[in-house]
Amino acid sequence: MSAPILDTYCEVVTPEGVALHLRAAGPLPRALAWMIDLCIRIGVMIVMSLLLMAFGEMGQGIYLVVMFLVFWAYPILFEVFWSGRTPGKRALGVRVVADDGAPAGWMAVIVRNLLRTVDMLPFGYALGLLSSLADANGRRLGDHVARTLVVHEPAYREHAVPPLRTVVAPTIPLQPAEQEAVVAYGERAPLLSPARQVELADLAAPLTGTHGQTGVLRLYGMANWLLGRQ
Amino acid sequence: MRQEQFVARYQAEWQAFEHWLATRGADANQARGKRNVGEAGDEEIPARYRRLCQQLALARRRGYSPQLTDRLQQLMQRGHNLLYRTPPPRWRRVPEFLLADFPRLVRQQAGCMWASAALFVIPLVAIFTLLQFRPELIHGLMELPEIAAVERMYDPSDTRHALGRDSGSNWHMFGVYIMNNISIGLRTFASGLLAGVGTIFVLIFNGVTIGAVAGHLHGIGYGDPFWRFVAGHAAFELTAIVIAGGAGLRLGFNLIAPGQRRRGDALAEGGRIGAKLCLGVAFMLFVAAFIEAFWSSIGSVPAWGKFTVSGVLWLLVILWLWRGGRGATHPGAGDAA
Repeated sequence: MSAPILDTYCEVVTPEGVALHLRAAGPLPRALAWMIDLCIRIGVMIVMSLLLMAFGEMGQGIYLVVMFLVFWAYPILFEVFWSGRTPGKRALGVRVVADDGAPAGWMAVIVRNLLRTVDMLPFGYALGLLSSLADANGRRLGDHVARTLVVHEPAYREHAVPPLRTVVAPTIPLQPAEQEAVVAYGERAPLLSPARQVELADLAAPLTGTHGQTGVLRLYGMANWLLGRQ
Repeated sequence: MRQEQFVARYQAEWQAFEHWLATRGADANQARGKRNVGEAGDEEIPARYRRLCQQLALARRRGYSPQLTDRLQQLMQRGHNLLYRTPPPRWRRVPEFLLADFPRLVRQQAGCMWASAALFVIPLVAIFTLLQFRPELIHGLMELPEIAAVERMYDPSDTRHALGRDSGSNWHMFGVYIMNNISIGLRTFASGLLAGVGTIFVLIFNGVTIGAVAGHLHGIGYGDPFWRFVAGHAAFELTAIVIAGGAGLRLGFNLIAPGQRRRGDALAEGGRIGAKLCLGVAFMLFVAAFIEAFWSSIGSVPAWGKFTVSGVLWLLVILWLWRGGRGATHPGAGDAA
């Protein structure tokens, strides 16, 4: 293992002393989530205007109050009561959490949404975009002040059945990170195309000592050995 | 220990934890109503969660597969979210916050509040006074159509429409005031993040505008309907603007001069204070909008009636902010809520 891998993990150490890996979301998914929310908000306003048209002046007043709520309260209420997700964020698989990985509290959510006012300056979230490009965890100004992060929900990955039961002991002792890579190969490679399996196994040629299909089989065998299969 | 043995040994524990999360983790109130039939008892969960953390740490240390560590981390994260979630808001806290915590917080930030009041009131009074001696200066501050619109709203000879507006019913104007005034209040705070410059600008701008309108109308003899209109809601509205400005100044000041703290910590604290103040500000502006739409606009109430009510409201606001929450025993105990 040479240089550390570039990644968007934000590592948070919990009170139990275990590092929690949060995958910070960049500006693009967040902008898309915002667009979806915008469409929903516009939709709500159109429906409300059709409904409230029947009530004349009083309807206009209620319409404006609803507009206020849709503008200011929509993200706050969703993020508080729906574990950090607005409908747009849910569609993009991201959520708001506090920067210690815990769910974001009332105050934090209020702060980050009030400060959208500043992130929107001077037009179209330009300050927010600059801020999130400059920050390793993609936080906009409101997130900095509120101490929040927008993270990707952990995706559940398919666990493949090992294709064969042979066991091969590695010829050289492996570092934990190398073991991890071999085991990951054994669990994920069956989901890949045969050509890709060979291509990846060829990278491990110094370990397996061969190329091509034999290398793939040896690597599976080593994964089985490392997993402790008999 | 090899991975497969590890999994075989602890699989049941993980499944029990997962089952508990799925059946009882979502809502504490709902869970209380149902009997726990699963393997894991409610009171065991923190201990089980800590075991899970230890197992995750072991799995990482031993280089087990990412599939396994991912799964454990997911379980752990769900447990973490559950154990460290902020307590749900209690509605009983709302009056307590408004009556005690909010005034206390305003007094605690007295310096910023006075600075904000000065930035707002000094331009207001200065412009008002100036316009009494040099009325033509109004044309340097407002465009002709704007002046005409304002004059129309407060024309004493025109009794067809309610005070302080061109047209529109009480309900319509209530909506307008909610949308505009509360939005302005919240933005006044938020723009403090621009090193306080945004807030200072908004405060001076509002002071100048209000001073110009008041000075002009008073100067041309439209004072009576104007003062009768604004007297009612001024107490809540003007005070709320000043408080929102104070919150913005606090935020900007924490950015510029964080003191002994890291800048990020100082900003976060300024944000937390600001958010709380903004809740109170929104409430005050809501009350102001209500008064403005349904009381201030009544043209038939004579001046003495309007000014008496105004005096009572000012007294209430001052007493509230000055005495509210004094002598209470737990300063800021429910901070997390």
